[in-house]
Amino acid sequence: MTTEAVGTTAAIETVGLTKMFGAVRGIEQLDVRVEPGEIFGFLGPNGAGKTTTIRTLLDLYRPTAGTSRVLGLETHTDSVTIHRRVGYLPGDLALFDRLTARDHINWFARARGRDDTRMAEELSERFSLPLDTRAKDLSTGNRQKVGIVLAFMHEPELLILDEPTSGLDPLVKHEFEQLLRETTTAGRTVFLSSHELDEVQRVADRVGIIKEGRLVFTDTVAGLRQRAPQTIEVVFKVPVDPHRFQIDGVRVVSSQGSHVVLEITGAIAPALRIIADLDPVELVSRHAELDELFLDFYRNNTVTTTSDAD
Amino acid sequence: MRTDVSRLDLVGRRRAVLSYTLGMGLYALAIVALYPTFEHTTGLNKFTKDAPTVAALFGATGSLISPSGWLNVNLYANLFPLLVLLATIGYGAACLAGQDEEGTLAMVVALPIRRHRVAVEKVVTMCIQASLIVAVVTAVIALGHFFDIAVSALDLCGASLGVLLLGIDFGLVAMAVGAATGSRGNAIGVASAIAAASYLVSSLAPVVAWIRPARFASLFYWSVGNEQLTVGLSVSELAVLVVTGVALAGVTIAAFERLDLH
Repeated sequence: MTTEAVGTTAAIETVGLTKMFGAVRGIEQLDVRVEPGEIFGFLGPNGAGKTTTIRTLLDLYRPTAGTSRVLGLETHTDSVTIHRRVGYLPGDLALFDRLTARDHINWFARARGRDDTRMAEELSERFSLPLDTRAKDLSTGNRQKVGIVLAFMHEPELLILDEPTSGLDPLVKHEFEQLLRETTTAGRTVFLSSHELDEVQRVADRVGIIKEGRLVFTDTVAGLRQRAPQTIEVVFKVPVDPHRFQIDGVRVVSSQGSHVVLEITGAIAPALRIIADLDPVELVSRHAELDELFLDFYRNNTVTTTSDAD
Repeated sequence: MRTDVSRLDLVGRRRAVLSYTLGMGLYALAIVALYPTFEHTTGLNKFTKDAPTVAALFGATGSLISPSGWLNVNLYANLFPLLVLLATIGYGAACLAGQDEEGTLAMVVALPIRRHRVAVEKVVTMCIQASLIVAVVTAVIALGHFFDIAVSALDLCGASLGVLLLGIDFGLVAMAVGAATGSRGNAIGVASAIAAASYLVSSLAPVVAWIRPARFASLFYWSVGNEQLTVGLSVSELAVLVVTGVALAGVTIAAFERLDLH
């Protein structure tokens, strides 16, 4: 019996989800919540646990501890119902070498109990996928296109995509991002695992950063931008003493006579008051690039769990 | 009943299976057609009389020039079951562990198909492939009637059924090990090692006294090592082979339910 929930059911919800491979850590105490209709970017370096999370959500891996629900359903007991309603693109996509793209589409449609392959044909045309070439003769990009078509062809409520754009050229990537936007506009949800920061910040509503099997950060992309420290470069009329900027939330990145670079986290007003008193002639301010922020999370050895609630 | 997984594997392997079956059929035809040339060569029997242990290693015991002896030494005691085992162990190791290593199995299991159904369809697919090979070879051997090979049709079918069940059982060993470990190498290695030991025990049991009691542990004994070509496959032999297969299928399904898929 399925246990479908009603109301504001999360598209994905895990609580304390843990997967160990013997003594080797896969994911640990992972708490993730993905809301319906959003694109959730799941970021992390290689080996962080992104693929392990996805495989556990799809009941391909059996968790060591914790619970996970997809579309309100328990991932193990209701796996067949979940699989019917989810589209999955694996990170290391493997196809049946002797089958053509068309064979794959027809077989997957039949296995899903659907005869209608209209959507698959539309997507194939949109991505210029050669339908009658055997998988073993397809280029890496075209194989990935087959995977995209197979994941989207039954118009699932939730798409779980593991590194979906690997091997795609920039034009196809652009088309794929457009497809993602159309998908969420139609009210469907996308869980997008990637290590391509640019891609995620372009398409995702929210991002989660996983590191060493633990979720270290979740927030909206806009929230992330706000959190990013501001860098202010100031040129003063005369050389200034950098010690004047030793206040909370301000770090002197460099100081060369009258040219000072500051990094400001939090309120900017106290620093601006000091700057104004020192007779500035030129001031340039910019937020740190998200790349820098992500890399900071990746490099930082301390796990500091934060969320969009704070 | 949905058979998507079976059909996918059968379509993917159809050329290999058909070529393999054709090759085995031609080999069986050659053996059958050669019989009239050797049926009066009594010197052949010296081999089993003078060096019974060495002869037993090749599955040869008793008369080699009687119709059943000829078929036994050239097909049923060695090459026929071994070639069927090659096919079933190969598929048994490839269909779960092998496809998991390739990454295609996760694509199948991520569809709305229950895992146990995937495993059952794989078992059925293996049975279909093995049945085709055994049926064709048996049909060719039945042509031996035209080459002085007079063997009861019932005994011939019984012996072939033994070969078929033997192949399926060892294929299921490979499948079970693959489902438990996720390794095609382990699946082939373990199943082949058990099959080799089983073959040796069954072959040497008639001529090596201390091995004789161990023959009951050998699936070869229950399928081809107890003169099945002369007296047919007994109900007890059939039961051992079928029960073993059902038990192994159960182990495979249970192990596959727990396997982490890539």
